[in-house]
Amino acid sequence: MIWVWLVLLLGAGMMVFTLPIARMPALALIFGIAAVKATLVLRDYMHLRSERMLVYAIAFVPVILALGLALVLIPDIVYRH
Amino acid sequence: MSVGIETASHKAYTEGETTGIPMGKIGIWWFLASEVMVFGGLIGAYVLFRIANGGWADQAEHVNWRLGAINTLVLVTSSLTMILALSAGRSGRHQRAANFLLATVLLGLTFLGIKGVEYSREIAEGFTPASGMFWSFYFLMTGLHGIHVIGGIVFNATLYIAAVRGTLWSEHHEDRLEFAGLYWHFVDVVWIFLFPLLYLA
Repeated sequence: MIWVWLVLLLGAGMMVFTLPIARMPALALIFGIAAVKATLVLRDYMHLRSERMLVYAIAFVPVILALGLALVLIPDIVYRH
Repeated sequence: MSVGIETASHKAYTEGETTGIPMGKIGIWWFLASEVMVFGGLIGAYVLFRIANGGWADQAEHVNWRLGAINTLVLVTSSLTMILALSAGRSGRHQRAANFLLATVLLGLTFLGIKGVEYSREIAEGFTPASGMFWSFYFLMTGLHGIHVIGGIVFNATLYIAAVRGTLWSEHHEDRLEFAGLYWHFVDVVWIFLFPLLYLA
């Protein structure tokens, strides 16, 4: 069932640019769909739905760090461009 | 005496005394956490460079999104066969589990084959890592991901051989199937983000 959802979401992601919406909302939608797909894999295939807090901590601290790394570099782009 | 020591050391190895989580599982999650930083840093750099340099739309339009989509389907399906292998192994259907493991290996090889076709077409058209920033990132990120796919294929093929020989199904070794699955699904998750970043955006 999860596989069916992943395939449907893959199709939906590729259909986004056929919609009559601007590029930025379309990109937001594409990456939103990708995030949903990743969540499905993490939750059901990687069993995060039933894991203990320690595994959550190990898994998500680097995600926060990676996002933080990108976010703190955004001012550099804003000032240069 | 020696049996008692082995049992105790095995228990300490397989299940943390304070966490209650198998040490192997903690180990694979630590490894995946380091991989998040590797791919996260790379993806972050790609997004920031792309925003800062006008989007590289003229370069990005040359990637073959149809082959990328087929590869996404292949990898997502390989995640399904991997979870089916784990499910079959845990319910004692060992031959079925071995078959699903073999399917996972073959799907991984299919992914690499399609990626090879893509690379050869792109290089034939003159797009190499030196063709521009987009292509540098494209070859770096898909190449690094491809290396991880190769690693997963080797891991899964090793388990397939063990499954066929019957050595995978002892109490001490069955967890390896779950650990291999965690790694393989992570490789799938990375591609789920690389596909829109490189082929659709």
